[in-house]
Amino acid sequence: MEDILGESNEAVTILNAETGEIGFQALMTTFHFKRALMEEHFNENYMESTKFPKAKFNGKIDGFNKDMLKAPLANIKITGLLNVHGVEKSITVNGMLGLESGKLVATSKFKVTPEDYGITIPSLVRDKIGKEMEITVKAIYLPFGN
Amino acid sequence: MEIKSEKMKTKYIVFAIILVILIGAGIGLKMFFKPHADISKLKTEYKVEASGLILEFEQDENAATAKYSEKILEISGNLVSKNKLPNGTNLLVLHDEMQGISCQLDSIWAAANKETIEALKTGKAVSVKGICKGYLMEIKVSPAIIVSK
Repeated sequence: MEDILGESNEAVTILNAETGEIGFQALMTTFHFKRALMEEHFNENYMESTKFPKAKFNGKIDGFNKDMLKAPLANIKITGLLNVHGVEKSITVNGMLGLESGKLVATSKFKVTPEDYGITIPSLVRDKIGKEMEITVKAIYLPFGN
Repeated sequence: MEIKSEKMKTKYIVFAIILVILIGAGIGLKMFFKPHADISKLKTEYKVEASGLILEFEQDENAATAKYSEKILEISGNLVSKNKLPNGTNLLVLHDEMQGISCQLDSIWAAANKETIEALKTGKAVSVKGICKGYLMEIKVSPAIIVSK
């Protein structure tokens, strides 16, 4: 049994400290896997990264108020549009937002079904991979702009 | 005589089939355990100045992405920041802190070239070689290595 795990630490995220709007973008080819062959399959066969180079999320923190940015980590809900493999879907996910060791941090863990985003996994291997993919996000924010 | 040569033929055919299977298995295993790209061994496809590259992406992101994505670039520019990510990866930013060129150094190369990384000074010119991944507010290059002039 092997973990199919791809990690990217090159994503970009912006949090609007006034409105609670939050956005993420990641280049699919920056998700690195332990096995080079797995990474190749991920990009060429499943994500079709040349056609759809970026995954994007644009949303808003539910019930946002500026005090959240000065308080310790607390549960939040984010609603927005997730655009992956050229397909855009509205999602609501749970997460955490607040100060951790003096830094403004946002985290989230949620599941997506590849088929929802038009990603076809051949029947020969479908049963060998989990039904859903778990996405884990961790962001550290620094002040930017005025 | 006839029977002997038939037996010989079968032996050769079986041997040939086993050889093909072994070669096939060898190729398969090589692919399965294929290592990640070694930047120092790959040929530079484009030699560019940081400012010029940034301008190309700003003017036409799609064209620049199509031109440079997954290609080996050698980029010279001013080092504006040198940092270590929580997981130990070295991050060099060229030209502009927020909208410049972000280069993540290859960890295997970095482990073997600690002094070179230590010696880097912000505010000075540096040349990096790596795979251009695309543009997300800044140009992303990874994995990358430092090249000496």
